[in-house]
Amino acid sequence: MTQHIRYRLDADDDPRAAERGLASLVLTVVELLRQLMERQALRRVEEGSVTDEQAERLGRTLMCLEERMTELTGKFGLEPEDLNIDLGPLGTLLPER
Amino acid sequence: MDHAPAERISLVDLLDRVLAGGVVVTGDITLSVADVDLVTISLRALLASVSALAGPAAPTGGADDSAHQVPARRG
Amino acid sequence: MTDRQGVWTYAITDYSGGELPPLTGVAGTKVRTATAAGLTVLVSDVALAEFGEVALRRNLENLAWLEEVARAHHQVIEAAARLFPVLPARLATIYSSDAAMAAVLGARAGHVHAALRRVGGRVEWGVKVYAAPEDDRREPVPASMAGGEGAGRGTGRGEGAGLAYLKRRRAQLTAARESRSSALAAAQAVHSRLSRHAAQARLYPPQSAQLSGTRTPMLLNAAYLLEANGGSGFTSAVADAAAAHPELRLELTGPWPPYSFTGDDS
Repeated sequence: MTQHIRYRLDADDDPRAAERGLASLVLTVVELLRQLMERQALRRVEEGSVTDEQAERLGRTLMCLEERMTELTGKFGLEPEDLNIDLGPLGTLLPER
Repeated sequence: MDHAPAERISLVDLLDRVLAGGVVVTGDITLSVADVDLVTISLRALLASVSALAGPAAPTGGADDSAHQVPARRG
Repeated sequence: MTDRQGVWTYAITDYSGGELPPLTGVAGTKVRTATAAGLTVLVSDVALAEFGEVALRRNLENLAWLEEVARAHHQVIEAAARLFPVLPARLATIYSSDAAMAAVLGARAGHVHAALRRVGGRVEWGVKVYAAPEDDRREPVPASMAGGEGAGRGTGRGEGAGLAYLKRRRAQLTAARESRSSALAAAQAVHSRLSRHAAQARLYPPQSAQLSGTRTPMLLNAAYLLEANGGSGFTSAVADAAAAHPELRLELTGPWPPYSFTGDDS
């Protein structure tokens, strides 16, 4: 059974809602990539395959990214839970909070 | 013992049982404007590129030769 | 000109006495019986234009169609189950003819009779276990804004803000993972406990949150085969398990006809 998730982008009723629909889709993908990068960075730091200086830079960059995501999410009137896609038996795309 | 009227049974619980656990939801995201579907993004394509997240494909149900029992597809 | 038809099956029984009351099945069709190998099967004649292989694949993907057909299928099974032991057929088990069905059943008669003995006098109950919703739904503070040591930027000597952030993220991820695995362990414990009350138990994959509309993750989706009069005892057992695990939320459904115990999972 295929289920279609529609993101309505009609400008008529509520341009804000349309914008929010697209934003949540885009931001979900960005958030996915951010979380993957973060996990990868943590793994590398824990493995010891990066220098202290590199780890510090990684951390700062990731911290900035997280702040930016929080800003963007808020800017579109979205909650963190809105950034997710349910894939049925595969679970959700992003880990549930 | 009292039996609840059929309407009160949750569809999801019923589907679990009549499809023998074979309910599959594969999500395709369709961007539509004024009911006209513009772009369909297949999540399978997204998953394939992030292969760490996709689980192994489960076997599909078998079917008897002379019955075309349609197994719900998995994966 | 007659439309081509198939035989939709609802349930199998070895009960031979008495008449079946008039029943309506899927797509408004009349339910009738067919016999084979000492078994009686409840069936309907359905149009292949709607229920043939191609049409069926298309229709099964339509949630509205699926819901109507699933509920009609269930109502026939439930009505029969009130009268005699039945083995529910999986949804959309359709044969080309009574003869084709009889051939398949004949080959499996031993299994079918054994399954009927197993479910006779028994009913199914379902239990779903979720993580309990948190009392105050405070969002976890993003690690970039969390207070505590190392939160400042560029504190000069000592740990930089970047490393401190990584430490906090690692702690958050570990805590989340531990919380989830302890909830799963608790759900498993509940399942073991409840299984002791049942003749048989079966697990389903946790339901998709989108389909079931729940906020917290589902940790267990189980079916238990109990004696027909075991309902109140089992209800108490579920209440006790819920009380023992405040971190979980339990939902009980039933009684069901023995869908999950036909021994017929392809």
